[in-house]
Amino acid sequence: MAGSGKAHIQGGEDVVLHVEDLVVEYRTAGNQKVQAVSGISLDLIKGETLAIVGESGCGKSTFGKAVMQIVAPKSGSVVFQGSDLMKSTKEELRQLRPKMQMIFQDPVSSLDPRFTVSKIVKEPLEIWSRGSDSEQESKIDELLNSVGLEPALVRERHAYEFSGGQCQRISIARALALDPEILICDEPVSALDVSVQAQILNLLQDMKDQYGLTMIFISHDLAVVKAVSTRVMVMYLGKVCEIGNPTDLYKNPRHHYTSALISAIPVPDPEFSISAQIIDGDPPSPTNPPSGCRFRTRCPAATELCAAEEPQLREMGGGNYVACHHPRD
Amino acid sequence: MQSNRRCPSTAPRQQGVKTVSELLRVSNLDVRFDTARGLLHAVKDVSFNLEPGESLGIVGESGSGKTVLSRATMGLLTMSTAKKSGSVVLNDVEITKLSRSELRSKWGTEMAIVFQDPMTALNPVRRIGDQIAEGPRVRLGMSKKDAKQRAIELLKMVQIAEPEKVLKKFPLQLSGGMRQRVMIAIAIACNPKILFADEPTTALDVTVQAQILGLISSLRKQLNMSLILVTHDLGVVAGHTDKIAVMYAGEIVEMAPTKELFSNVRMPYTEALLNSIPRITNQSGIRLPVIEGRLPDPTLPQNGCGFSARCKYATEKCHTERPQLVDGGNGHMYRCFFPLGVNK
Amino acid sequence: MLRNLGFFSKISFAWLSLMLFFAIAGPLLPLPDPSEFSDALGAGIFTSGHLLGTDLNGYDLFANIVVGSRNSLFIAIISVGLGSLLGGILGIAAGYLRGKTDYVLTIFFNIFLSIPNLILSLVLIAVLATSPDPTQTVADSRRLVVIIISLTIVIIPILGRITRGSTLAWTNAEFVVAAKSMGMKDLMIIRRHIIPNVLPSIYAVAFLAIGIVIVVEGALSLLGIGVGQGISWGSMLARSQGDLEYAPTSLFVPLTFLALTVIACNQIGDALRQHLDSRESKL
Repeated sequence: MAGSGKAHIQGGEDVVLHVEDLVVEYRTAGNQKVQAVSGISLDLIKGETLAIVGESGCGKSTFGKAVMQIVAPKSGSVVFQGSDLMKSTKEELRQLRPKMQMIFQDPVSSLDPRFTVSKIVKEPLEIWSRGSDSEQESKIDELLNSVGLEPALVRERHAYEFSGGQCQRISIARALALDPEILICDEPVSALDVSVQAQILNLLQDMKDQYGLTMIFISHDLAVVKAVSTRVMVMYLGKVCEIGNPTDLYKNPRHHYTSALISAIPVPDPEFSISAQIIDGDPPSPTNPPSGCRFRTRCPAATELCAAEEPQLREMGGGNYVACHHPRD
Repeated sequence: MQSNRRCPSTAPRQQGVKTVSELLRVSNLDVRFDTARGLLHAVKDVSFNLEPGESLGIVGESGSGKTVLSRATMGLLTMSTAKKSGSVVLNDVEITKLSRSELRSKWGTEMAIVFQDPMTALNPVRRIGDQIAEGPRVRLGMSKKDAKQRAIELLKMVQIAEPEKVLKKFPLQLSGGMRQRVMIAIAIACNPKILFADEPTTALDVTVQAQILGLISSLRKQLNMSLILVTHDLGVVAGHTDKIAVMYAGEIVEMAPTKELFSNVRMPYTEALLNSIPRITNQSGIRLPVIEGRLPDPTLPQNGCGFSARCKYATEKCHTERPQLVDGGNGHMYRCFFPLGVNK
Repeated sequence: MLRNLGFFSKISFAWLSLMLFFAIAGPLLPLPDPSEFSDALGAGIFTSGHLLGTDLNGYDLFANIVVGSRNSLFIAIISVGLGSLLGGILGIAAGYLRGKTDYVLTIFFNIFLSIPNLILSLVLIAVLATSPDPTQTVADSRRLVVIIISLTIVIIPILGRITRGSTLAWTNAEFVVAAKSMGMKDLMIIRRHIIPNVLPSIYAVAFLAIGIVIVVEGALSLLGIGVGQGISWGSMLARSQGDLEYAPTSLFVPLTFLALTVIACNQIGDALRQHLDSRESKL
């Protein structure tokens, strides 16, 4: 699997974010080095919703945080608005922050429990002194309305009085306060109930259209991702398996891991025949990943080549790329 | 460790007419909690039964009362603020009337539970072998040596490789999937008749989830165990249950054999739920239909149908009168005045 | 909030208020002079016009209690207050900045925590508040200051560690990460988000610490290194150490006041902690 490669990097005028060879390392409690992200490159095209999927430990959340420089990457480059964020000073980076915002997984803990809603949404405006006091107040109202909350009802209440779905709406309102260009959503609906997920997913779509955003959508749930994304990137143990448009990827996954992921998803339809390609075992330890292709230890099609050489991403047509020596047909 | 051998039950035998084959019959189970905000009616007059070897899925979102229901059925509600009423008959014994030690003797041997989060359900400072062997030693009176053998046997049944090595390990040294398998091993150690699985795979990755669900299904057949699978995931119950009960705001609003439920949905809530779930089989980039509004406040008394505020088919009657569970034939029960697909 | 207090908490609150009243308004009360000799020696409670009796010197115990409350309470409140402030600042710095700062501060905390507080006070007082000439006693005020300093030094690492732990937990909360990603400066984050959330855990522990310090002060007095000529509950105990047989009230009275005050502090501290915990459990 996972290899890297830059075949999928096209460049061009529409690229809002260019990530090259990003590596994120950290030390475990046992003082071992782990590479959560091992050399991933990416071009983010304006107006797209790029979904990054994978299971726990694949590095997708770390990737999102590393792009935002919330977590410091070890090496690589992240070029945004003409400057490489990795080489920027602390102050330069801070100045760019308003343009790239994040929505977090746990809606309740992403809001300060002591703050009222209006204070939460006002905060970004206050930090950057955007507008006069009255202008800020009306912006808050506008944002709250956009996310489907009635300002008069919610303004003076505290975050802990709201449900998960409403908290997520407040988070979204806060993130949009600074008119960002890029919105990175880190598992935004995973902590929400099924019936609320749909509301928030629709909301994100609407906000994207209304505010002209480009989104990175990180999730482990392939079904959720299919509903919102225009391009999907599958990750495993810090590397990219496959990247391409959703329709092709879901109908005919070229990578064995992608195929296993898709077939493992429980479908709410008892008639749906699951040709359950249940892959065995657990993900290998990230401290000591397998040589060559990292997925080879669980892959039904692994050969000696897979152990010897790390597969690089190559084009399969139609804007789809896969990193595999023996992709599925 | 206090020896708690199976003591003969001194509880009164259930009288009256009932079908002999039923393993579990829950009648009018009602649970209320005294909270700071008022009386919280978590489970409202719920009844269902379970045949030997049958698998029941209890589906609901958070706040539907499904977890409280499963805990109350097993008798695991320990909070002093809980007021429980109703009857739970297991193998002809009314377990709500049992003393604590009598009830304890049933746990593990007749009913067992697998929890959602194996990390908090397993004792982090005891070895796996000790935790698995505890049940057989205490409940079945096995010797240390026999219990160890049983533990190895169980680890093999849950498909853990190198069971002898795993016996000596601590929970933190295992992955999430393996811990869940250990929990299952602990649960089936004394051959319970019913296995309660409370969101057993929610905390797991999707590929591991598929493995664990497959494991539970095969163990069920192997041991002729009944299963009560509590989850919010309709996809999970679709593939692994014989019948499904849908819960909303503390009540069972629809109950039917699995295939029947999916092909002939009667409750607007169930229909809305099915529609709003993102699916692999959908087109990409579409807008999902949503269920507007929120769950009703469980501390407030309810007029009419609990779902009426959010139901797109609701009428005046729905807001004022509370519907009862109606048997629509084919084993399909629903709680609605205007069920879908039924001509009046 | 006062309404929600349980019965014991209400009593504790009333008791502490009374003690504070004594401490503040003591000199204004119409009480006999604490060092006035009276005829009744070793009198019991409610005898001979003495509300709580006298000790073997004829000193009125009630008057001594009231005057002593000033020293006992103020020493405790000032040293805990100062210790909490300094410990809090260091703890937040350690918890928020992590890395080398945290490493150094934690070592610092651990060193001071490992020194028994009585020994520390003893050493400090011996060095700073004792004159080499045995005939010349050191000013009481200097003694007092040194006692307060030594107790403050004891409190700093305790509160420091607690604050550090609390800060660690809150710094990892997602809303702090969100604040950083909005471009908020560190100092502002600490001021707006960390401190308000960490403060409650400080309050609760501080109250418990007040109780402990009152007892420690008593111990210092018993060892003879207390407030010197001044009066505190501890000094009352010290003075009447040997009088158990003939004037038991002179021991029991300060003992009771000390014990009740510490219990009251504990009760309030506990109630505060429970109240704050329950608020946070709503989150």
